[in-house]
Amino acid sequence: MKITDVRCALIGKHPIVRIVTDEGLHGLGEVEFTKPYIAPWVLHFRTALIGEDPTDVERCMLKIRQRGSFKPHGAGVSAIEHALWDIAGKAAGVPVYKLLGGKVRDQVRVYNGSIRQKRTGDRPEDYAADVKWMMERPEKFFMVKQGISFHSNMKRNVPDFHYGITQPPDYHGAMDQGQISERGMAHMFDCVAAMKEVLGDKVSLALDCGPGWFLPDAIRFARAVEKYNIMWLEDMLTGDYVPWVNPQAYRELTLSTSTPIHTGEQIYLRHNFKELIETQAVRVVGPDPADIGGIAELKWVAEHAYMHSIMMAPHGTANGLLGLGALINVCATLPANYIAFEYPSASDPWWHDIITGLPEGQIVNNSMVDLLPAPGLGLDIDPKAARPYLREEDAGFFD
Amino acid sequence: MKITDLKCAIIGQSPVIRITTDEGITGWSQIETPKPYVKPQVLSLKDWIVGQDPRDVERVMRRIRVRGGFKPFGSAVSAIEHALWDIAGKALNTPVYRLLGGKVRDKVRTYRTLYQAEVPGGAPHTPDGYRKWAQYGKSLPGAFHLFKLPTSFHSAMVRDVPNYFYGDVLRDAPYPYPHKGVQTQAGMEHLIACVTAAKEELGAGYNTAVDAGPGYMPLDALRFAKAVEHLHLMWVEDMITGDYSPYVNHDVYREVTRSTTTPIHTGEQIYLRQNYKHLIESHAVHVVGPDPCDVGGLAEIKWVAEHADLHGIAIAPHGTANGIFGLAALVQVCATMPDNLIAFEYPARFEPYWYDITEGFDGMPVKDGMVDVPDRPGLGVNFIAKEAKKYLTEGDADFFD
Repeated sequence: MKITDVRCALIGKHPIVRIVTDEGLHGLGEVEFTKPYIAPWVLHFRTALIGEDPTDVERCMLKIRQRGSFKPHGAGVSAIEHALWDIAGKAAGVPVYKLLGGKVRDQVRVYNGSIRQKRTGDRPEDYAADVKWMMERPEKFFMVKQGISFHSNMKRNVPDFHYGITQPPDYHGAMDQGQISERGMAHMFDCVAAMKEVLGDKVSLALDCGPGWFLPDAIRFARAVEKYNIMWLEDMLTGDYVPWVNPQAYRELTLSTSTPIHTGEQIYLRHNFKELIETQAVRVVGPDPADIGGIAELKWVAEHAYMHSIMMAPHGTANGLLGLGALINVCATLPANYIAFEYPSASDPWWHDIITGLPEGQIVNNSMVDLLPAPGLGLDIDPKAARPYLREEDAGFFD
Repeated sequence: MKITDLKCAIIGQSPVIRITTDEGITGWSQIETPKPYVKPQVLSLKDWIVGQDPRDVERVMRRIRVRGGFKPFGSAVSAIEHALWDIAGKALNTPVYRLLGGKVRDKVRTYRTLYQAEVPGGAPHTPDGYRKWAQYGKSLPGAFHLFKLPTSFHSAMVRDVPNYFYGDVLRDAPYPYPHKGVQTQAGMEHLIACVTAAKEELGAGYNTAVDAGPGYMPLDALRFAKAVEHLHLMWVEDMITGDYSPYVNHDVYREVTRSTTTPIHTGEQIYLRQNYKHLIESHAVHVVGPDPCDVGGLAEIKWVAEHADLHGIAIAPHGTANGIFGLAALVQVCATMPDNLIAFEYPARFEPYWYDITEGFDGMPVKDGMVDVPDRPGLGVNFIAKEAKKYLTEGDADFFD
């Protein structure tokens, strides 16, 4: 089998990669909806991939892996990898989890990091009402993740929250950093207490915190919330869109507290997780299969983390429904350090009309998702249903 | 002053950048020659910087730095930084080195990487070929005293010498240095013979560095570095990771570096000081080689140079493909670096017509292996729009408008 074309269309807010072969099979991969500008990078791999056998996934990846980097620049490579596995699975007539070592679980646990209503504000009572709403959702998520501090509007809306420079909120990924004021810190403690009062020990709570903290504040906060049994504190020091890791600083934080410390969504390739894992710099890693370099890469990092007794909770909030298929397939194969993946909901409701292969009815039940039975990554796009959502320049995408 | 526009055109194979302001001052810069595909990324940063004051360089950089990454993804951010400094210097009518802390030298040493294809009659990857290489280097205008020789995985040696290593030879790889694996005894002996021949031919008064990877296993890196200790090489570059490796692997470098007196060098693909941090603080190499067009800019490379100096590590900035604007930028920033500066890599890979379409350098500026630090405002090189227009392709026709 040979690759005859690599295409990329912007459907809704998501760049979608479609790899076409000479045997009529095709594969799909999805890029986070926050990265509509990534298409040129996908397309510049065309010449490297055309003529290759897509079922030799690693051989194809060896040709393009060098041209990726930390978020957002790992997305093109990763989405191509998903599409290659999709083809390889279809060609073999099996779900992709069979090609990644086989499933070790029949259902996959997920947590709520994407199903949201607009929070009424940044006060403790707003946070309490918000998690109550999440707790009562029919999916019965075992855990919810809330943004606080630099990972929320708190940094702007709470007066004198921190002593750093506040950047305009117009660009995704712009990072505010600074020492947090005593008042800001107290506000966060109040919010956490209010949320825990609602959630109790019935639904777990993780906090998405940064990036932007300095180490002394991070240690102070992590120690102060030890009594709440927080599932993890995510990305305090580095994280979303930070083009480096700083594992030495994370290690200081992790060793100072019993609250689990988590990072990893922006990191590209196992090599850049190496020190984080081998020096016990965090307790939980959260790579995103659509940024790390693909699902095989994520599996390798999960096993490396497992060897070091570090937990695994893949990121995925913006990966879309095709991204959901990739997450389900790889998470079915991960070792026992797997906690749950961040459930990606559709960025526009009509995605449910154009994606085929999803289970009937509610997808998440008791915080679990069933494996997808269809070959490949288990999901596809119905070209006829999708056509109204194609831009003019992408008209030939499904041809 | 406000940024009004950011444009990017491809001249030759090189993306060039133009930042315009509401006060009529223009900033110019350039991205490495083999990266025409970076243009969309440059343009995607436009909305982030238009309306900002270009003279507050760091303030603008804080908006776009997060959108860079290891080579090639650091180049757009880096080149924009160069153009901002160009504007900041012009606005004050001062050369950029004054805004980077001031020059500590009036001339900057540069080294020359020798390419197989430029040697008249060719220079194969054999001991005789390397002798020709050395002779050619000594004959070059500019009287360079320090050279760099591509070898092993960083050259066609891996393809041309049968059974050079125990991996598959890849002839259709889409990026330059795809090989990695254990080298055969015959391959290693051939490599040592080639480097020895070049060094002998160069003779007294000349020095050479060796470009080698990426792709070495540490056992071979150590074997090679120890075998050439008596040759007093200036450094061996990128054996473990390097050009286009999206990671550093500093711990593997450290194993090699601590066991040999041959200086070990890496860094051209690394983006930002944060990704140099452990390499430097754990003394994992003896020489770092960031490229101002990839590391995140001139202020960034200066910071890395000072951090390296603090740890007794030398710096030899990379720059072979940075073009005439990259040359100007290298001279400005290297004039301000601490005493750990060895030399920057001369951007030899641009066609002579660049001297005609720009003003600032009257031909090749190297004398006795050094470049005088110019006192022109900004980075010191500007396009001559009338001449440069001839080299624009259709889609870029309005670049100078």
